[in-house]
Amino acid sequence: MPTSLLSTLTATPLFAVGLTLAAYLLGNALFSRLRQPAWLPAILIAALLLAAMLTVLGLPYEAYQEGAVWLTILLGPATVALGMPLYQQLPRIRALWRPLAVCLPIAAALAACYALGIAWLMGSPGQILASIAAKSVTAPIAIGITEQLGGNVALLMGALLVTGVATIPFVSLAARLLNIDDERIIGFALGLNGHAIGTVRAFELSPTAGAFASLGMSLTGIFTALLLPLAWRLVGMGSG
Amino acid sequence: MPALTGLLWLIGYWLVGEVVIYLSGLPVSSGVVGMLLLCATLAVIGRVPDSLAAAAQPLIALLAMLIMPGVVGVFFILDELAGQWLAILVALLLGTLLSVVTTLWLLKRLMGSHAH
Repeated sequence: MPTSLLSTLTATPLFAVGLTLAAYLLGNALFSRLRQPAWLPAILIAALLLAAMLTVLGLPYEAYQEGAVWLTILLGPATVALGMPLYQQLPRIRALWRPLAVCLPIAAALAACYALGIAWLMGSPGQILASIAAKSVTAPIAIGITEQLGGNVALLMGALLVTGVATIPFVSLAARLLNIDDERIIGFALGLNGHAIGTVRAFELSPTAGAFASLGMSLTGIFTALLLPLAWRLVGMGSG
Repeated sequence: MPALTGLLWLIGYWLVGEVVIYLSGLPVSSGVVGMLLLCATLAVIGRVPDSLAAAAQPLIALLAMLIMPGVVGVFFILDELAGQWLAILVALLLGTLLSVVTTLWLLKRLMGSHAH
């Protein structure tokens, strides 16, 4: 595409918004055409399509991102909106508060520690560790944590994508192996490990799974946001 | 305009979250503070207003699309991280598998006495 035409189009955020909507809808259409494979979620198809569109158009990612802020700004109110399913499921959650309260700190800490331990053993430098530490935390919180730790936000978003996408087949596989068909457990595991991507999947399963996923996602986010920066300083990972 | 009223609720709670974070210095996001406050408010009211549901439901359905612009960024830093990819991918995939199994197993054991 001629540079002048491209710069005219990208002068308005509507171009980036339109590209995102197109990739999202196309990704979803392909996803149902492929009979909803668990290993290839709609978000991954859509992200690949979007990356391909940007490359073909020769549009730098930074220029795209500037326009797409018009969409990402809605992430704030959308996170607040999760308070609604959370409220609707409060009676079920209250009935299970004890196991959930015991499970959450252990599981959320391990979600970060397993990956950090493996990366550390494989010789990843501190900056990479700081970028993937918040891999199971929902994007708006994870970005804040990563900035605090001195990590790379773009790498974090990639880590979120890989983690979220991998969580979906891993949960269904592990649930089958462990003989678990309780939607509450499956939903909680999806949200705790797979943040927003896992939560979206849980809502596809059932409203109950979705509510437990929202709960797992938000509790993991709060727990990690409060403790990870502190733990990072204690083990001497912070540069200062 | 019920959906607009609902959207104003959501934005309002998000802004309240900003204020809470500014005053308390907590390292959490305003979205999470807003979400907890919204949940607490609904618990006090005892029902979900129609206007709120009209805005919240479509927004929740769009969560996946809203994180896409950020997610796509990773395809554009692939070169910068040459040589690091194997360790990163193994850590993420194996780490996630282990933590998924731990979560499910732990919760199943803990809920054993509570379920049904």
